[in-house]
Amino acid sequence: MSDRDTLTIGTFEEAKTASVATARKQVIRNEKLSALIEKTITKSKSLFLASLGLIIVGGLWELLSSITKDALPGPIATLTVLYEMVSDPFYDYGPNDKGIGLQLFNSIKTVLLGFCLGSLVAIPIGILMGASTICKQIFYPIVQLLKPVSPLAWFPIGLVVFKDTGLATIFIVFITSLWSTLINTSFGIASLPQDHKNVAKAFGFSKMRYLTKILIPFSLPHIITGLKLSISVAWLVIVAGEMLSGGAGIGFFVWDSWNALSLEKVISAIIIIGIVGLLFDRLFTYIESKVAYKA
Amino acid sequence: MSYLEIKDLEISFPTPKGKYTAVRDINLSIQKGEIISIIGHSGCGKSTILNAIAGMLTPSTGSVVLNNENIKGPGPDRGIVFQNYSLLPWLTVYQNLFQVVDSVVKGTTQEKHEIVAKNLKMVSLFEHKDKLPGQLSGGMKQRVAIARAFAINPGVLLMDEPFGALDALTKGTMQLEVLKLWNLDNREKTIIMITHDIEEALFLSDRIVVLNNGPSSTIKEIVEVHLPRPRNKIEIVKMPEYIELRDRLLHLLIDHFSIEDMGMKYKN
Repeated sequence: MSDRDTLTIGTFEEAKTASVATARKQVIRNEKLSALIEKTITKSKSLFLASLGLIIVGGLWELLSSITKDALPGPIATLTVLYEMVSDPFYDYGPNDKGIGLQLFNSIKTVLLGFCLGSLVAIPIGILMGASTICKQIFYPIVQLLKPVSPLAWFPIGLVVFKDTGLATIFIVFITSLWSTLINTSFGIASLPQDHKNVAKAFGFSKMRYLTKILIPFSLPHIITGLKLSISVAWLVIVAGEMLSGGAGIGFFVWDSWNALSLEKVISAIIIIGIVGLLFDRLFTYIESKVAYKA
Repeated sequence: MSYLEIKDLEISFPTPKGKYTAVRDINLSIQKGEIISIIGHSGCGKSTILNAIAGMLTPSTGSVVLNNENIKGPGPDRGIVFQNYSLLPWLTVYQNLFQVVDSVVKGTTQEKHEIVAKNLKMVSLFEHKDKLPGQLSGGMKQRVAIARAFAINPGVLLMDEPFGALDALTKGTMQLEVLKLWNLDNREKTIIMITHDIEEALFLSDRIVVLNNGPSSTIKEIVEVHLPRPRNKIEIVKMPEYIELRDRLLHLLIDHFSIEDMGMKYKN
């Protein structure tokens, strides 16, 4: 075999390899493109279905509105009012006439305050209940007794103790925020598998290392789920709470608008309450996904 | 006095129905660098004995003495490979080793990082150090668990059915992996492992401890394996001694070898 032959074969092989590589790149590019197209299709499909749902509800709403002869305002009228509310959210014309932004800000502040205080109490007690049977036996009956009570029932007690409607509202949010967090935390702590405990025991982990590297990472997803449930209930309760307490907040706004017979404003407020609740939920779902782990 | 001495060990647990004795009259002297397998049927107290050596269980009577010291609890002189790997799923492979090394080994942080890197490289998992256990295959998880036990450089390595959850091919590789690590360490580590697998026990061990069925099981027999090392899987099975030992173990562990042994007539 001459040199030329080998050379030819060599070049041929190289050319073949090169063409294979190009083809492979082409395939990968095509795969990426089709994945992108597929993703876009899925997205637009779910977007279409979601708007379909909105259209159906809007249609029923419009129908209901025409049946009641506009006693219930229709979607167009409501959205016009909503637009007006949102375009000037922060005006303040005295105690009974504040922009929706200020009212909402007030409610969120109350909820976060009550929720944070509640969590600060619920998480440590939950940890104690999960870690020690005695603590569980002490606290669990109380939790079972008080959990089913509507938080609004605590409002008079809050008023007596704090002598202030604002503080009493924070108090009922505080009470609301306790239960789910407490139960989920104690469940999370108590369900720590023996395997993980054995690792700590076998390799002589200090209390601190056990806490930060085993107990907390294990139970964090449970705690976050508890917090998520707590804040969603707290957001439910705040509207009712502010209807009782009056003076400020989105719940007061709803009640005040009803008294002023502006159902457009009531429905607009309902939409805003829903959106804020959804955002809270999304936030905690995001945190949940961040602390989740695969076993 | 040998390196590890188990004397008149009995372990029992209180139950609502009274005392339950898992194992009793266990006497075993183990030399430094020996590989011992404990074999027996499910529920015969294999894990109980291993846990007593690990210090996770306290003997009801008798004692476990390691290096002339009575074992009172878990310690860094014994590394454990758990049955189900027991890696911490929220920590990376690297952190799974580092937390253990940081907890047990005395030294600078720099030295600890070097130990972790060395042990991960030893089981060829250094390039996977940033993965979480959930992203690894069963064999890889087991290698992490073994690397973790080796990383604290224990005199005794305790393995509870280390390859039980692995497929047959991966199992073979892992057995060699353990022998490799044992040799790299100048055969100074004492390895005590639990297994269900006669072939595995014969391939790895110097002695095989066969237990009676539980409850309150005792040692039935200790079988010595004098097959020359390094052992070759294909070669040893042809050795007369291997065949003899395998038959002996089969007879110790199993009563029936065919359906005819079970009293059934085979019709042609």
